[in-house]
Amino acid sequence: MARKPAAKPSPPKQPAPKPAPPKSAVADEKRTFEPKYNWMNKTRQWGVRVKPGKAGLKLGDLNVGIYGETPTQWADQSRNPRGAVPRRGMPPVGYSIRDKAGLWADCAADLYEEAIQRRWAPATDVPWDTIEPLPDDVEHAVCQVCTELLGYANVDIETITGWQHQMSYGYHEVKQFLATASFDAARHYECFRKRALANGGGLGLEGPGMVNRMILESRGGWTEAVVYLLLMRGAFTMTLYKYLGRHAHNDAERFIYEHALADKARHVTYALDHLKYAMAHADDVLQVVRTLIAIGEGGLTRDLRDPVLAEALAVIFAGGVAKAAGRGMAVYGDMMRDYVATYLGYCRWLGVPRDPARLPPPLNEYADSTDTGA
Amino acid sequence: MALFPSVDWFDEVRNVFNADERYRGAGGGYCNCVAGFRIAEKVFVLTFDGFECSAAAEGDDGTLDDVDFYLEMPAKAWRDMVANIAANGAADLHHTLNTLDLDREDGLATSKHGDQVREDLFFRYNQTLQFFFDASALVETEFPKE
Repeated sequence: MARKPAAKPSPPKQPAPKPAPPKSAVADEKRTFEPKYNWMNKTRQWGVRVKPGKAGLKLGDLNVGIYGETPTQWADQSRNPRGAVPRRGMPPVGYSIRDKAGLWADCAADLYEEAIQRRWAPATDVPWDTIEPLPDDVEHAVCQVCTELLGYANVDIETITGWQHQMSYGYHEVKQFLATASFDAARHYECFRKRALANGGGLGLEGPGMVNRMILESRGGWTEAVVYLLLMRGAFTMTLYKYLGRHAHNDAERFIYEHALADKARHVTYALDHLKYAMAHADDVLQVVRTLIAIGEGGLTRDLRDPVLAEALAVIFAGGVAKAAGRGMAVYGDMMRDYVATYLGYCRWLGVPRDPARLPPPLNEYADSTDTGA
Repeated sequence: MALFPSVDWFDEVRNVFNADERYRGAGGGYCNCVAGFRIAEKVFVLTFDGFECSAAAEGDDGTLDDVDFYLEMPAKAWRDMVANIAANGAADLHHTLNTLDLDREDGLATSKHGDQVREDLFFRYNQTLQFFFDASALVETEFPKE
């Protein structure tokens, strides 16, 4: 057996060497430091003291004096925060959305605050332990619907973030609100994926995606994206969440759909407020929105002609395939009538009423025949 | 013991709701709206301001012109909802405001002004309203004799 080598004798104790001063400190000592502090005079407004209210210090509370000035066009092409002193010679970033009418909504600051303060965490707030095994056909249907909703959430994220970086910093309330909207969408993506994978099922068939493509490929500006993504798809998704919440199988699903509904309602509120602002403050937007709505309806109906989502929803609403064709499709019809009524109501509110009789099929089949659209 | 519906009952629920910080998390919290409730022949108005329900008052039909939205159900449906909450500690799947809204031909939430953005506050703040009524589980409630 090999012997272990003897341990090396420890070196005699010596006083610890004096640590060498760091090089930067040496350099500092040599440098003649003559601060000017002239940046301290660089402000456009000093002495501001905003005060918190009952709901804390809100984003909108900061809009005092020059800090609340939001001109109709934001000429600065840099990342200069609104109200700060611009630095000369900054190269332009090249924001394409610099007109207020291209993104603004008066409610954006409040919606941002609402989104931040009413946030929820799927991992810990959803009572996942209430999910219990479901009949196979119902679990398939739930997973199929979750798969389609994952696609919706993905398009929300991509579309919003795809436009957000093109928006001027002068309208930071909108940029901040949209950051919450894309985060909401990420949360929805998380929730539906978790639900699909939490109860013995898995993801199903990808949705037809005509509306997704229409939204993602729209190049006419953020307002156009708002019409497709937040008004038309948003109102449809809201209606889906309402009915899925009503037909939830457990507290976890109920929590998910009801909270996702609240998030989506915020997005739709921004859309309505923005579109109304844009139509009131920019030439021709009213006509453009009318045209976009007609185009959007065409895209939406192509998705609706795909039977997969309708069948899956019918199975959920009926509690199984046995009654899906009867009771399930009847509830699906109620849901579609609810959607069309909500959508037509939004169009009326915007001042672009739609004649229900002229909606493309199958949307017109769900319109109230007594609704004149006016 | 508070009689449902009455301002006293709503005030007792307000006290429970405002004192429980759990209602500010998990999708609740910040809420600004004026909500009306038509319960049988009576009208009540709740004001939500920031994190709290700051006022409960009795009104009349005209009061409903000014609220953001109001909820209307027959007295029995209100009573069933409150009793269900008392029995379960919170509304079960069949007695949530969302379910009651969809189960009714004309919905539960409506308005006289028809402004959809204000009506949609019902959906934006649905969880807060649900938390509010769920808080009634801790209020000893008495119903009027039929």
